[in-house]
Amino acid sequence: MEVTGQEARFRAMFAEEAEGRLATLGELLLELERNGEDQELLSSVFREAHTLKGAAAVVGLADVLRVAHAMEEVLEGLRRGDPATPAAVDALLGAVDGMREMVPAVLAGEDRTGHADRLVAALHDPTPALEPPPDPEPAPGPPPGPASAPAPGPAQPAPRRERRETVRLRVERLDELVRLVGEASAAALRVGRVVTDQLGVEPAGVPELHDLSRILESLQERTLQARMVPFGTIAEPLRRTARDLARSLGKAVELELRGQETELDRGVLEQVADPMLHLVRNAIDHGIELPEARLAAGKPRYGTVRVHAAQLGSEVVVTVADDGQGIDLARVRQQAGEAGDALDGVGDDEAIYAIFRSGLSTAATVSEVSGRGVGLDVVRASLASVRGRVEVHSEPGTGSEFRLSVPITLAVLPCLLVEAAGRRFGVPMHSVVSAEAAGWSEDHVEGQVVIRVRDTILPVSDLAATLGVTAGQGGAPASDSPAVVVASMTRRHAFRVDALLGQRNVVVKDLGRLLPRLALLAGASLEPDGSILLVLDVSGLVDRARSGGAGRPAPSPTPAVPAPAGPASVLVVDDTAVVRELERSILEEAGYRALAALADTPADLVVTDVEMPNCDGLELTRAIRGQPALTGLPVVVATSRFSDADRRLAMDAGADAYLVKGDLDRRTLLEVVGRLLGRAVQPAGGAGR
Amino acid sequence: MTRAILLPVGRDWYALPPVALQEVVAGPVVTDVPTAPATVRGLFNVRGQIVPLLDTGALLGLEPTAACPFAVVVQTAHGPAGLAVTGMPEPAELAWLVGPTRARGTVGAYAAGERVAVMLDPLALMAQLHPPGGR
Repeated sequence: MEVTGQEARFRAMFAEEAEGRLATLGELLLELERNGEDQELLSSVFREAHTLKGAAAVVGLADVLRVAHAMEEVLEGLRRGDPATPAAVDALLGAVDGMREMVPAVLAGEDRTGHADRLVAALHDPTPALEPPPDPEPAPGPPPGPASAPAPGPAQPAPRRERRETVRLRVERLDELVRLVGEASAAALRVGRVVTDQLGVEPAGVPELHDLSRILESLQERTLQARMVPFGTIAEPLRRTARDLARSLGKAVELELRGQETELDRGVLEQVADPMLHLVRNAIDHGIELPEARLAAGKPRYGTVRVHAAQLGSEVVVTVADDGQGIDLARVRQQAGEAGDALDGVGDDEAIYAIFRSGLSTAATVSEVSGRGVGLDVVRASLASVRGRVEVHSEPGTGSEFRLSVPITLAVLPCLLVEAAGRRFGVPMHSVVSAEAAGWSEDHVEGQVVIRVRDTILPVSDLAATLGVTAGQGGAPASDSPAVVVASMTRRHAFRVDALLGQRNVVVKDLGRLLPRLALLAGASLEPDGSILLVLDVSGLVDRARSGGAGRPAPSPTPAVPAPAGPASVLVVDDTAVVRELERSILEEAGYRALAALADTPADLVVTDVEMPNCDGLELTRAIRGQPALTGLPVVVATSRFSDADRRLAMDAGADAYLVKGDLDRRTLLEVVGRLLGRAVQPAGGAGR
Repeated sequence: MTRAILLPVGRDWYALPPVALQEVVAGPVVTDVPTAPATVRGLFNVRGQIVPLLDTGALLGLEPTAACPFAVVVQTAHGPAGLAVTGMPEPAELAWLVGPTRARGTVGAYAAGERVAVMLDPLALMAQLHPPGGR
């Protein structure tokens, strides 16, 4: 079978994942042998097998899929009450061992049908102890020597096929490495400064320092490269999504992928993957017309969705474009007006960004075909979390184009250094649209000060005043100061500064969890002279400037995206610490307060597991519904049970939403929590997208 | 007798268990943090690490600390933090409990030679950075 480079990458990812899952399965099964009636444990084992099956299906490993499916059947029996006999556990463990051997073999192109048949048979009839699989498909390689001779006894270990050339590494370890290399570089700069100050010698003139600097630079580059993965890693899900969706909708669609070799940080790619999938789904669902409509409009029968990735400086720009019907801007305006955010007086170029508001985007994008309903507001939020941004252009009848820009890496942040009130600040370059030299024209429109930048009028604020570090320059014209035009995802704003100091890559450190969240700061960086450079959070800055905070009022020409009205409290109930911590961190990052108990602070919403010791989540839900004071309290059930019967039980108990943990991710949880707390209104109709 | 480090904060003396103390920084160069609450004086550089400098008075619910010639670096669950103090800390022996205290993050007042020092509970004190309902 011919395997393309892209498929090979995807299969390598599967091999890596399967290795981890099989190891976990082995451990869980051993525990299951001791605690055969532990339903939670059974669920965990089942989930691992199920996930492995799904992954095997995606990469087309039919034999692995068959064995995993047979495991599922055995585990389902155990969940129904079949005893976890040693023979059954033997069969399951045998299947795990068998798959450990089978995965690299079938990935190498070997036929393991017979092996899979025997494993499946052993799972279906576990009474006799599972014999170690004979090796009817002799593996290529040197004849077995003493080291590879079969061990005596029934448990024959799988022979090692080849030396490992990869090491699995937690991303956190790489992050720590990147951070340390960054600190080493900063320390080297400080040493250079000491040399200059105390010896009067330029660091470049000291060969040892020059070598150290060069080596550190190379080390930093290599370390950052270790986190890089090609954009094509997510090509397969994109293709699969496009194919399945087009078929289900009866549309003829070609997905054109370019720039798959473009590399970017794995963490960034993970954050971009879901937005990309969503935009492709949107393009097919809402953009591309049915074949008859296309032909009638004089278009080719096949619609095209183009996904192009390319590196542009320190960013990767991904374009998702379709040649469909475009976004119906009139409907966007109408929906915005109905939601209380009329776009009167706002130009089309800016009004189109209303599709990223939760109230508009949710209803327009949640549909049967768009799966879990990740809205365009969440696309925007996902991009913001990796310092990315999105631009959109649309022509009625011609198509739409979404342009996503994300940094290649988050470890080093290119910043524009500016001076305000005698202090230096870093403005992340990905948010900088332009820097305007002194002499720009300042006007007043409807009582607010605006700056004309080429053909656009933008509100302008004084940076120092917005930050509250000085009284600023008030409303007086200050066209003799330079200005920086920034974009916070969908809005642009100009800030007057005292001076533009240039551009530099800075190693940004977040301010940790000790401090309360500071909306105006993205982090801080240590300068070569030991001082601290504050790096600004442009979204927070623009919000503050437009709300008139700390400086002068600057009413927005466009209605702001509705922000949550203060932190809502969410009670998280789960006996699994990892899940609890995951849910807590997701909620707290989104500005909610996660509670561990109801004792002191009333909750605005409850997220609960089902299977827990002492009191399960359904009992908890019924108890809440039984309290007159709590009948309106939204309850979200988050569980690994995924059958329709379980879902009905939860809804009958009074749950407002049901999430399956296997599918639980940040977007889904926040979308559901936001909706139940009234922070994402679902209008009755769509807005074209 | 319990050993402690006495911290002068205005006219008051506070005490820290020696184990909580990492180091004392004289004349910390502080970078103000815009929009930070009164409990945060800013950030300072401790051997290449960016550390928040906290206003000890404000954390205790008292008057903010006027000047900060010294910073006492303590370890917390979320990394090091600096406490602003108005004089050079000094070691002392705490003799006996002379009475309870009401300020947040304190565990009682102790006799320390001629002085009375209020013993701090660093963890409870840091919790004041995240008051309920005020993230």
